[in-house]
Amino acid sequence: MSDEDIENSPNSPSAAPVSIPPASDAPTPRPVVRHPPLLWLLTALPLVGILELGAHLRQTHDVVPESDWQAAKAIVEKKSLANNDLLVFAPDWSDPLGRRYFGNELASLESEGRGDETSFARAYEVSIRGKHRPELAAWKKVGEEHAGAITITTLENPAPATVIDDLFSHMREGGMTVSHVDDHEAPCPLVHTNASSGGLWFGPATPGDRFSCGGTSVGISVLHALDHSARKCFFAPPDKANAVLRIRFQDVAFGSLIHGHHGLQHEAERDKKGAPVTLTFKAGDRTLGKAVHLDGTGWFGFEVPTPELQGQKGELTVEVSSTGAHRRHYCFQADTR
Amino acid sequence: MSAPSSTPAKKLSRNDYAIGLGIALVYIVWLLATARSLGFSRDEGFYFNAASHYARWFNVLFESPSRAFERSVIDSSWASNHEHPSLMKSLFALSWMFFHEKWHVFSDASTAYRFPGMMMMGVALFTTYLFGTRMYSRTAGIFSALLLGLMPRVFYHAHLACFDVPIMAMWTACIYVYWRATVEGGFGWALASGVMYGLTLETKHNAWMLPAVFVVHAVFASRGTIANEIKKGSIPVPASLLAMATIGPLVFVSLWPWLWNDTLPRFQEYVNFHVNHEYYNIEFLGKNYFGPPSPKAYMPFMILATVPTITIVLCLVGLSSRARVAFDRVRLALPALLKRPALATDVARPAADPSESDLLVFLSFAVPLSVFLLPRTPIFGGTKHWIPAYPFLCLFAGRGVELVLDAVKTTILPRIRSNALAEATPIAVAAALLLGPLFITSHSHPFGLSSYVPLVGGSAGAADIGLNRQFWGFTTQSLAPYFQANAAKGASVYIMDTAWDSWLRMIDEKRLRPDLRGVGSPSEADISIVHHELHMGEVDDNIWVEYGHVNPDYVLTHDGVPIISVYKRTTPKRR
Repeated sequence: MSDEDIENSPNSPSAAPVSIPPASDAPTPRPVVRHPPLLWLLTALPLVGILELGAHLRQTHDVVPESDWQAAKAIVEKKSLANNDLLVFAPDWSDPLGRRYFGNELASLESEGRGDETSFARAYEVSIRGKHRPELAAWKKVGEEHAGAITITTLENPAPATVIDDLFSHMREGGMTVSHVDDHEAPCPLVHTNASSGGLWFGPATPGDRFSCGGTSVGISVLHALDHSARKCFFAPPDKANAVLRIRFQDVAFGSLIHGHHGLQHEAERDKKGAPVTLTFKAGDRTLGKAVHLDGTGWFGFEVPTPELQGQKGELTVEVSSTGAHRRHYCFQADTR
Repeated sequence: MSAPSSTPAKKLSRNDYAIGLGIALVYIVWLLATARSLGFSRDEGFYFNAASHYARWFNVLFESPSRAFERSVIDSSWASNHEHPSLMKSLFALSWMFFHEKWHVFSDASTAYRFPGMMMMGVALFTTYLFGTRMYSRTAGIFSALLLGLMPRVFYHAHLACFDVPIMAMWTACIYVYWRATVEGGFGWALASGVMYGLTLETKHNAWMLPAVFVVHAVFASRGTIANEIKKGSIPVPASLLAMATIGPLVFVSLWPWLWNDTLPRFQEYVNFHVNHEYYNIEFLGKNYFGPPSPKAYMPFMILATVPTITIVLCLVGLSSRARVAFDRVRLALPALLKRPALATDVARPAADPSESDLLVFLSFAVPLSVFLLPRTPIFGGTKHWIPAYPFLCLFAGRGVELVLDAVKTTILPRIRSNALAEATPIAVAAALLLGPLFITSHSHPFGLSSYVPLVGGSAGAADIGLNRQFWGFTTQSLAPYFQANAAKGASVYIMDTAWDSWLRMIDEKRLRPDLRGVGSPSEADISIVHHELHMGEVDDNIWVEYGHVNPDYVLTHDGVPIISVYKRTTPKRR
């Protein structure tokens, strides 16, 4: 069978019973025949291809240039960020770019690994593609500036909380002590080594500055929480069922409550199979309150009322314990308000 | 009223084979030309390593054939990566031995390893062209093949020394041979079906799904014969199926030396590995999936997000035209089945197709996809695990192009007075259908797994809605210019998701600076990298603690979307 045979085969599409001759005769004017709408619709399909090509060219050239990031940084630098100012990048996926271009002075661990936004009075949202951070949706917009394709929005917290004492500030010699309580209570010395971390599934990095308790330790690290957010926190993984990590914070300035969060590394709690971890707050012999973390709840907030201690300074004891020790990559963060 | 044609197989001319080979050849040249700029995926690292073990055995086979069949020699070479059959890895090994070591055709060992996979892409294109041309027309065949090659994910996988494109090629070729056996009959085609099925089994385990295509098709296509034979007390089995059931397993075992000893326990181990395969992490719509149930929307959504939209639209056009033929056949056949008078209708009777080609193509398309509607099917492979469906998606798309061109000839050309314009119009239409996929595919390199089509907003749009950014850690090679300019001599680099064998090959082939030292944790490294995937953010967090800052020194991007963050240790380690 020749090539022509194929094209003129009774089953080829051009053999379908349409009422006009083949296209090879097309240039010759002929009477126009009415065609079903479906045929006209098919002739419009190449437009889909052209639209797709146009959209591709537009999208691939619509990239925020480095100069816009630098200009946005200059705008934020002029704001002279205070400690309770928050810098965020939107959408989430632009965060590495924001951290790269804004540098450690502006995009710091305190901002990136915040427990929540409640204590920040003001926020600068650096956004591309018209995206916004959902956690700031209720904040009041007080300003907007542009650096090319980047928008810098200034937002005010309608009800910022005042932090009296952030427990992170106690992470120093004399600021806190840690002991491991099993058969007996053993002190955990404060050591200053290199931090240590592994690859994927290692768990939170073991900080260089930490209270070392043999099989476990307590120090400030960053948790990769169940929702894949980064959380600066005290990494205090229980290493033995029913043993207690007892952390005594010295000279804590109390307010009306203790506000905090806790969670486990995402892969440690995502299967929801691990033992609960209990965080107990004590002042002297008196238990102020407990927060129990159940696997699957993620980075979870708690508040312990302390109205009777408001205005006082004293020792705050925090105990971490669990009925199981398998993959309890536990971390907490707290302050007084 | 226009009636779509049915699809009894057409004969091909020499020109058709030349066109099919031409498309395959041009594409393979494109793959070879872009191979060096694409880093090595995790799995390639494993298969490079396995192929080097198998090459040892082939050396023994060539030098001392009788020794090669001793159990100790077999097991010492073929134990490597025995969770997958050996055909492709054997070809990787032989390609390396001859095209790199002996004949120096390829200066990079990796290109020699990858070459059989690229050739398999050629087989896929060639077979798709033949299929389309035989079923519909040369136009449909050409566009089917071109649209298959112009899918970004297919283009990416076609570079690799892996099994995904090979199984796509073998799946298509096996079905093509079975189809020829059904149409032509005879011992030769049946035998070829058996051998092809064995080779397909030996390529990747997707082949175990093929009976769902063949048996359903064979029962439907032979329903009359089967009914008659059953009345006579026997059950007829098509010769091609018989050959696949007998010769197929023989070929499978005979080409896989690992199965030559302890055949059943080792086969059981192979089955268990895949039946109980662990679930890796994959992001879909902002959620990290790591176990069952898998989201049912994953497969259809990912097809929409990664296959050029025009290809999908054309597929729907082609598919609906074939569905209409099937509908017409059923409508015309029903009165006879129900013993009632024929319908008064203007529907043209479709040509008879005893081989039920439409059903075969539909099953070949639907079976690889349907598995991904099951809740226990892992989804970590992105789109590559249902890639065998794509040639058949493109066959329908090729038929769609044919209908579009036919519509243009029917409706528009008669209204054009200029000869030149009339001649240019079909070319312009063809260009309008192909240029989008061509630009999208070409632009995707070397970030094929980060590439998404304009329908979802491209790579940035996909990042907005939370689609997986990449996997396999192959993008590390794209950091070469950064390392060249910024890494101290002998710097240690935490290579994160890059497989060790992949890293070492990139160093060996000077794709990365040879003085760099790969290490296994940020603690040991001067420079640490993070491949951006949702669950890998924990490595970012660890580096922040390790290095005492949160600021990447460099962020590798594709269309403005972060692919890799690079951190430098800025303060010396404590002693």
